[in-house]
Amino acid sequence: MAFLQTHEISMRFGGIDALDAVSISAEPGLVTGLIGPNGAGKTTLFNIITGLQPPTSGQVFLDGRDVTSMSVYRRARLGIGRTFQRLEIFGSLSVRDNIRVTVEVRRRWSRQRIDIKHETDAILARVGLEEFAKVPADTLPTGSARLVELGRALATRPRLLLLDEPGSGLDAAETEAFGLLLADLAQDGLAVLLVEHDMDLVMKACSHLMVLDFGEFIASGTPEEIRANQQVQDAYLGAEEPPVGGITEPGLAGAGAGAGALP
Amino acid sequence: MSLFIGLTIAGLATGAIYAIAASGLVVTYTTSGVFNFAHGSLGMLMTFLYWQLRVADHWAGPWALGAVLLVAAPIVGAGLQLSLVRWIDINDTGIMLVMTLALLVLGMGVAYAIWPADTARALGPFFGAAAFVTFLGQRITYEQLLCIGLAVAVAIGLRLFLFNTRLGITMRAVVDDRPLVALNGWRTAKLNALSWAIGISLGALAAILQATLFDDLSVLNLTFLVVNSFAAAMLGRLRNLPLTFVGALVLGLAASYVTGYVHTQSGPLAELETVLPTLFLVIVLLALPSVRLRVGAPPARRSPRIASARVSGIQSVLVIVVAVVALPFLHGTNLGAVNQGLALAILGLAVVLLSGYGGQLNLAMYTFLGLGAWLFTKLSPGGGLGGLVLVTLIGAVAGTLFALPALRLRGLELALSTLALSELVWYVLFNQSNVMENTITIHRLRLPFISLQGARANLVFLAVVFALLAFGVAAIRRSSFGRLLAATKDSPAGCATIGLNLSLTKIGITALSTALATFAGALYGSTQQQVTANDFYFYLGLFIVLIVYIWGVHSPLAALFGGLSLAIFPVIAPHLPAWASQLTYLAVGFGALGIVINPNGTLDAVSSRVRAAWENRQIRRPAAAPLREEARLLGIPADS
Repeated sequence: MAFLQTHEISMRFGGIDALDAVSISAEPGLVTGLIGPNGAGKTTLFNIITGLQPPTSGQVFLDGRDVTSMSVYRRARLGIGRTFQRLEIFGSLSVRDNIRVTVEVRRRWSRQRIDIKHETDAILARVGLEEFAKVPADTLPTGSARLVELGRALATRPRLLLLDEPGSGLDAAETEAFGLLLADLAQDGLAVLLVEHDMDLVMKACSHLMVLDFGEFIASGTPEEIRANQQVQDAYLGAEEPPVGGITEPGLAGAGAGAGALP
Repeated sequence: MSLFIGLTIAGLATGAIYAIAASGLVVTYTTSGVFNFAHGSLGMLMTFLYWQLRVADHWAGPWALGAVLLVAAPIVGAGLQLSLVRWIDINDTGIMLVMTLALLVLGMGVAYAIWPADTARALGPFFGAAAFVTFLGQRITYEQLLCIGLAVAVAIGLRLFLFNTRLGITMRAVVDDRPLVALNGWRTAKLNALSWAIGISLGALAAILQATLFDDLSVLNLTFLVVNSFAAAMLGRLRNLPLTFVGALVLGLAASYVTGYVHTQSGPLAELETVLPTLFLVIVLLALPSVRLRVGAPPARRSPRIASARVSGIQSVLVIVVAVVALPFLHGTNLGAVNQGLALAILGLAVVLLSGYGGQLNLAMYTFLGLGAWLFTKLSPGGGLGGLVLVTLIGAVAGTLFALPALRLRGLELALSTLALSELVWYVLFNQSNVMENTITIHRLRLPFISLQGARANLVFLAVVFALLAFGVAAIRRSSFGRLLAATKDSPAGCATIGLNLSLTKIGITALSTALATFAGALYGSTQQQVTANDFYFYLGLFIVLIVYIWGVHSPLAALFGGLSLAIFPVIAPHLPAWASQLTYLAVGFGALGIVINPNGTLDAVSSRVRAAWENRQIRRPAAAPLREEARLLGIPADS
């Protein structure tokens, strides 16, 4: 059963429909990709799922429970962890303290006995940031700062992980390692929802894809099905003049070489 | 009935002035994203300039008005925007508020320096005594009609300009997405300069109308006229001009009816008319829906270094040593000033806790200082230690209640509500005859085995207390609670998504900070031994916040330098030339403007430079060795 389920989420900003009756789901043990051109409403949907933005209409269900009117921090305690498209790290703290403070917060609200040092070290090792542990987070390059956000999200012990463009700022080797980490996390039983423009990463890491375009849910399926979907091709490249020979973007075309980033 | 009509017309005229002032505030906020606390202060300066031209230099009325409203005010507004405001990161609420508060204080200092308060000045009405019309048997003066007519003209003009002209729409777009507007070929700095020019002109117009209608040319009254317009502007959530006008008119009418119908000469209700706008502001803030957490807009600036336990321990010991060493050199006024400064330094630690670590701005610090002093004399008439503990606990509870309305809102609303509540407390509590309207005597704190009766003993005691508290405050920053505070300040949205209840964290730091401020108040009272309500006048709270920001709000040492500066400025001022007689206003105002260059304060700037110089020296040193070796191989004498 899906851990996350949204039911006909709509969001209107003035006269613009940012989301129009979008229903998606994310299941434990799977990395699900949420893709779409810029302005499709992916980040808005993430904000609604985490509670940072109330929807105009629709519901968010977490483990079968309606959490639509629940505060952000309560949803986090129910198992939603997330990263942000525009970084939201704790810049004045060291990398280590970014993770540590999260573990401390969890120990406080969960009232569990947690070995803070051990758990902090384990998370730093998992995201590969041990050597930067003492570095102030606001001095890190974007790619490493994204890993700090991922580590922080993991420190909440989430059941659902929302990753908003985690690959931007990572080099090829880091992206490769990141893809493996995603697979690992899914194997641990996490439901991972990935918003990403790097189609190579998306096609390799996700077992299921959902596509948004101008706030509308237009397709879902396996990476192969999405790659072949005409409506998706139209959404990315325009419906009026389909490219000769279909989509040539490395990821969607299945060429597999290089990091193909859609606009 | 005729009384009602008269009061209604008077209320509409007053409301019209509030509306003009508030609309200026809304224009600058909606177009530049900066809430201008100095709106009233700049309007006041322009009014004094008008007085200078019209009364002192005998200019004709229209020329003087034109020179102020169409030349001086726009130049000041645009100049401030281009030289200062444009450099403010609007995502950094603390710096944004401190900047405009600095302008407020500076405006007051400049006005007092140029037009000293010991000379009586008056601005006559625009029209003579016979200039009135009669309506239902009631006289409506041309002055009142002018106010109402101008407010209507401003309302219609602004609405048409901001919503129906390309320039107006672009000005509004700047605050939503400045880079996007720039990408579309507009020069955002110039657009903002125009909005500031309009805003300051409207503030000047409102202040001049206020001064002529009520024959009131006072620096303080005109500066804080803006608090009334804050209330109206907040009703429109700083964006909605029609609601702002409605708020202003309701406020004007309510003030007028209270004046006419509520006749009390003494007690808290006697001040109802004065505090009505403040009360209105508090109610509006209470009624505002909770704001959403902002995502993707963290302030971009380097975080200051946090002192280690060893360093803060050394600093604390040094404070005590310096106090003891300086003791023989301090006498009379200087000794009193340093005593007072150390008590204020403890208050400054409360600012470091709340603003430096917690990222919140409480402008009511002097209210808690006064509360501490007053409660100490009530709970410990003989100066006993038990009263000090009780005072501190009451301070924690009072502070929580004080800040509760704004905790769910943004830093701006917290700052506004604390300023409003401090005004309310001053009029309704402190300035009452049974509280501190007249001088009250406070017994010096009594400790077992040690007498603090002498000023020198008290000074050493205060230095020790400050040193211990400074060490404790620094330790809080390094603790798990300190990490939470830093995280909350850096990214509220990030904190909420890790499961942190932000309100509880804010309540915790507010309670801790106000407990410390009230504790400082008890020691301040015990040190001064005689205080009155005027020692805790509501706007004085601005000075302690600004001075700590100047030195560096993240450092307990800044509290020490800040407290001592505030106490020493009045001692130095009489020895300075006349133009510098308002040293406290000018130094604090100019100093706080400096945070545009050094957002982390003077101490951080100095220590960064010293550290950089030291590191450069360290880098150069190893290079010398191989050079010496090469020189030896080449046969060059070592000392050449």
